Amino acid sequence: MVRVKSRYLLCEINVSDQSKLLLLDDRAINGAVKDAVAFTHGDYGAAQCGLGFSVKYVNAHTGIMFLRCPKSSYRLIWSALPFITSIEKRGEKIPCFLNCLHVGGTIRTCQKFLVRYNTQQLHRMLPKCKTKEEKAQIRRAILCSSSYMLKGREERKKEKDD
Amino acid sequence: MQPAIFERVVVKNSPVYQYMKVSLVLEHVQTKLTAVELKHLITTGLKSLYGEVGAAFPFDLLTFEEDTLTAVLRVYSRGLVRLWSSLTLLGFFQQQRCAFRVLQVSPYLLSLTGNSRDLTLD
Repeated sequence: MVRVKSRYLLCEINVSDQSKLLLLDDRAINGAVKDAVAFTHGDYGAAQCGLGFSVKYVNAHTGIMFLRCPKSSYRLIWSALPFITSIEKRGEKIPCFLNCLHVGGTIRTCQKFLVRYNTQQLHRMLPKCKTKEEKAQIRRAILCSSSYMLKGREERKKEKDD
Repeated sequence: MQPAIFERVVVKNSPVYQYMKVSLVLEHVQTKLTAVELKHLITTGLKSLYGEVGAAFPFDLLTFEEDTLTAVLRVYSRGLVRLWSSLTLLGFFQQQRCAFRVLQVSPYLLSLTGNSRDLTLD
């Protein structure tokens, strides 16, 4: 028994009303996912997933979240995610749907994927820009993220040489 | 003492279906059930234990005797454990207590016809 392995699901939440997105927090999402797993997989599923499941990170501005699942039951949780139609927050129901973008073994791999995914999204947003200022902003953001990725590659090369 | 050997068991030509002979025991013995009600009861048991995914797993009610409340169920081999466990944990039918007694389980339907427990020797 060397190491306890878990799976991290990188999910994106899509909401029709952008202002309601800022109300998200980890407890509401935790409750919503547990209810969905109990609905889809019954008592058996709720018990299997309930032990190691937690919401590690929620970004209310972009709608990105990291869900930590035990390695033995990550597929149960993954299959229950499409059944989430709304998240309840203090009596208010926010209709939404969840998209799973990436499954990783550690938070670091998920973060690396997220940086690459964000640069792809920025590239896609560039032709849709209407004003020059917006274009300049996006170009600066792409430059920032590419230099972050290059820095990571240089650090790894240095470690190899040492 | 011999060292532990790692063994892998591979089953070839495993049977597709598993047949179960079950009988339902109710608190009030006089209640009568139809075949449709029995299937609905088993489906609710599956749904409570295994959720929507579990309740969607296909199983068939092949025969049903109303006097003894005995039925023969057929299920794919992958779903036998789920069906059997949900029958075990099913406790209530319309506010009265009930229990499923599993009499025989076999991959071959023919073996359900003979039962050595009911055999009477002269």
